[in-house]
Amino acid sequence: MFELREVFFDYDGVPALQGLSLDIAKGERVALLGANGSGKSTLLRLLDGLYPAAKGAVLFEGAPLTAEHLQDDSFTLPFRRRVALVFQNPDVQLFNPTVWDEVAFAPLQLRWPKEQVVARVDETLRLMGISALRERPPYRLSGGEKKRVALASVLVLDPEVLLLDEPTATLDPRSQSQVIDLIQEWKGSSRTVITATHQLEIVEDIADRIIVMEEGRVAADGATGQILGDRELLLRANLVHAHRHSHGDVTHSHPHVHSHGKHEH
Amino acid sequence: MHIPDGYLSPSTCAVLYAGAAAGWYVALRRLKRVLLTRVIPLISVFAAFSFVVMMFNLPLPGGTTGHALGVTIAAIVLGPSGAILALSIALAIQALFFGDGGISTLGANCFNMAIVGSLVAYGAYRLMSARAAVGDRRRIIAAGIAGYVAVNAAALCAAMEFGIQPMLFHDASGTPLYAPYRLGVAIPAMMIGHLTFAGMAEAVISAGIVAYLQVADPALLSRSLTLSYTSLVGAAKLRPVASSTRRLWIAVAMLMLLTPLGILAAGTAWGEWSPAELARGASSRAAAVRSLRPEAPSGMQRLSHLWTAPFPAYAPAFVRSRGFGYLLSAMFGVGLLLCLSLAAQRVLERQRRRRAAA
Amino acid sequence: MSGRFLESTAMGFARAITRAMESERIARQRGLLQRLDPRVRVVGLLSLILAATLTRKIGVVAALFGVAVLLAILSRVSLLLLLRRVWLVVLAFTGVIALPAIFITPGTVMARTGALQVTEQGLRTATLLVLRVETAVSLCSLLVLCTPWAMVLQSLRALRLPREAVAMLAMTYRYVFLLVETASQMFESRRSRRVGILPGAEQRRMAARTAGVLLSKTVETSNEVYLAMQSRGFRGEVETLSSLHMTMWDYIGLLLFLLAGAFAAWIGR
Repeated sequence: MFELREVFFDYDGVPALQGLSLDIAKGERVALLGANGSGKSTLLRLLDGLYPAAKGAVLFEGAPLTAEHLQDDSFTLPFRRRVALVFQNPDVQLFNPTVWDEVAFAPLQLRWPKEQVVARVDETLRLMGISALRERPPYRLSGGEKKRVALASVLVLDPEVLLLDEPTATLDPRSQSQVIDLIQEWKGSSRTVITATHQLEIVEDIADRIIVMEEGRVAADGATGQILGDRELLLRANLVHAHRHSHGDVTHSHPHVHSHGKHEH
Repeated sequence: MHIPDGYLSPSTCAVLYAGAAAGWYVALRRLKRVLLTRVIPLISVFAAFSFVVMMFNLPLPGGTTGHALGVTIAAIVLGPSGAILALSIALAIQALFFGDGGISTLGANCFNMAIVGSLVAYGAYRLMSARAAVGDRRRIIAAGIAGYVAVNAAALCAAMEFGIQPMLFHDASGTPLYAPYRLGVAIPAMMIGHLTFAGMAEAVISAGIVAYLQVADPALLSRSLTLSYTSLVGAAKLRPVASSTRRLWIAVAMLMLLTPLGILAAGTAWGEWSPAELARGASSRAAAVRSLRPEAPSGMQRLSHLWTAPFPAYAPAFVRSRGFGYLLSAMFGVGLLLCLSLAAQRVLERQRRRRAAA
Repeated sequence: MSGRFLESTAMGFARAITRAMESERIARQRGLLQRLDPRVRVVGLLSLILAATLTRKIGVVAALFGVAVLLAILSRVSLLLLLRRVWLVVLAFTGVIALPAIFITPGTVMARTGALQVTEQGLRTATLLVLRVETAVSLCSLLVLCTPWAMVLQSLRALRLPREAVAMLAMTYRYVFLLVETASQMFESRRSRRVGILPGAEQRRMAARTAGVLLSKTVETSNEVYLAMQSRGFRGEVETLSSLHMTMWDYIGLLLFLLAGAFAAWIGR
């Protein structure tokens, strides 16, 4: 589905991606793991065609995601329907006056017929369990509600690829598991889910493959179980930190995973 | 300075709506050619920022407080077109939602604060900070002075709009129907507050934000954001836009300057500013006001002949009315303002080109 | 507590948010205005505001003020709320401005004490100004109190305001709340860290710093919002969907509003 070849990207000279190469097949559930600043968010934005690569190529089903190509409506409209990105900060994604308008924004932009928009928006609100919020302005929602509305606002298009940027960061444990349930339910048959996160504890639920990122490059790429088992690697990528404590008079250190609710050693 | 409903007559409101609409049109056109897609969220969020800054209750030297307008920092960061739109949107939300400023007077408020305010602030800041590096102290001072001048220019416009009401609109018994004070009262009354508190508040916040940005986010000061987005589209495309809107502005400015000079009727059309009126008016008014009224300067006597001379006898009666004269003088003032800012822009551009060539 | 700036500005923020929430509550009640199509409300109340600015007679403005009070009662808007939020505020502001006019407007002298004289014209112009402003602001407040913001926007769009303008109004309103929240949080954290009243210069620096941080956040947010819009297919044209439709009662209401406005303007000419 996606092919990346030696991709470079920088923000006004501050490098974010440095020669990243990657293939993602249709139907894969991938987690992008990495510490803050490792380039996960940037990568998602390149995959969504929001930033063009400075060097190298990003291909979607063989078509390059370049500025010129994305100017072309006959390519962009279907691409926008098929690939959806949920931003980390729901406040930037919820810019409409009400929840209903928010969910209707994308289908209206893609010029769906009116009846179809109304039917599809109502159905999505129901499936996501947020019908009661339909008239509410987004600024009055709780964090968990905002996240669900943000998800609804892209799932309304029934995309084939879902890109998620830290979907559960800053959520309380209950909203966190609700969001994960929604992602799992939606998964269905042949859809691709790519999640950027630094929370190890949600990875098993949402991914079969893990790509560990470090300084804008792929540091490791493998099956979920295999990567999560490699403590040395996680330690190096700053995803866990060595934990120092003493049992009796023996002091030792070992990698330590932070997770909500449980504390595993 | 937010004029509420009821202070200005419907016809004044209509004229100022038209004036504001012209500003919006030019600003939108400039941005549309550039990349309206890109600037819609920028202007919206910036309008929200101006709105929030207007709520800041700033402590001023001397122990009082004042509210800033936020127009100066908008003009510095967004450029004049973006600032005009952002401020207008913020004013519209204030009027509609918070009842700050009227709906019928929204055009007037946008004209005074968004359009005159942005243009004056931008012109003054660019003139004073020309060739100053991003981190230069001169920029802080320039921003402060630009804020002070812009707020006072906007307040002067509002004062003139108030001041022409009683001449233009009164009933048979002489009862003023809208704002009741003549120019001689309205201008000093408005300006005292703005020359001190409001102007100072705007100066303090503008200079303060620029000083903060020099350290924390200098990129925002290096060139106006709406312009830096245009550079994505390519400088080649921008050039003709700039010159075509420039021509429009020049036309508007010339029109405003020439209309009063061209069709102005009797000398009394200049109303309170005409020598005869200045000498006569005071006697009928209360003592409190009298002190505000200066003696008629003799230079004005001569000038009034200059103005009366070319007027044809066939000019329609309404042209001869005193109120109309006030309107024309206001237009004249605005025209002058536009010409000055265009000239300033011209000078700056020439400097820039010279620098680019070097 | 650390000085007036934080306190008074934070109070202003709290007031704005309370206001928005009050409006949302009133807008959901079932009163007269709430039942009418929002476009009728916008056009109807605007025509009354226009009539109130056009008329030259005190009696007609007073009658229009009466209409505003009647509309408030029929729409279950508490008169106490209007008194607190509109009438007293306007009286305090415009009243002070209008007061000197009583003494300095030239005309028939009614009473005289020392250097001060009260003229009939002065009394009338001051009354007219205050009454006019009270009426117009009451009518405008009724509109926003009885109409959810999203519906105001929808009607503005239906009334052919350019889409871009409506889109910007919508986004601005939405981000006012985000920025107010951010600013409040910054104030709170400053407040908790400081003891005693800060000197004025320090307060000013703090105000500018807060505004500066807010500005950086503004630009950053707008960049992100733009990406989020693009990601969902935004290409510069804002597509909207109107779910408004007029019933017979809406047409009757519109007609009544327009007739009342025209009648008032004609009587008061």
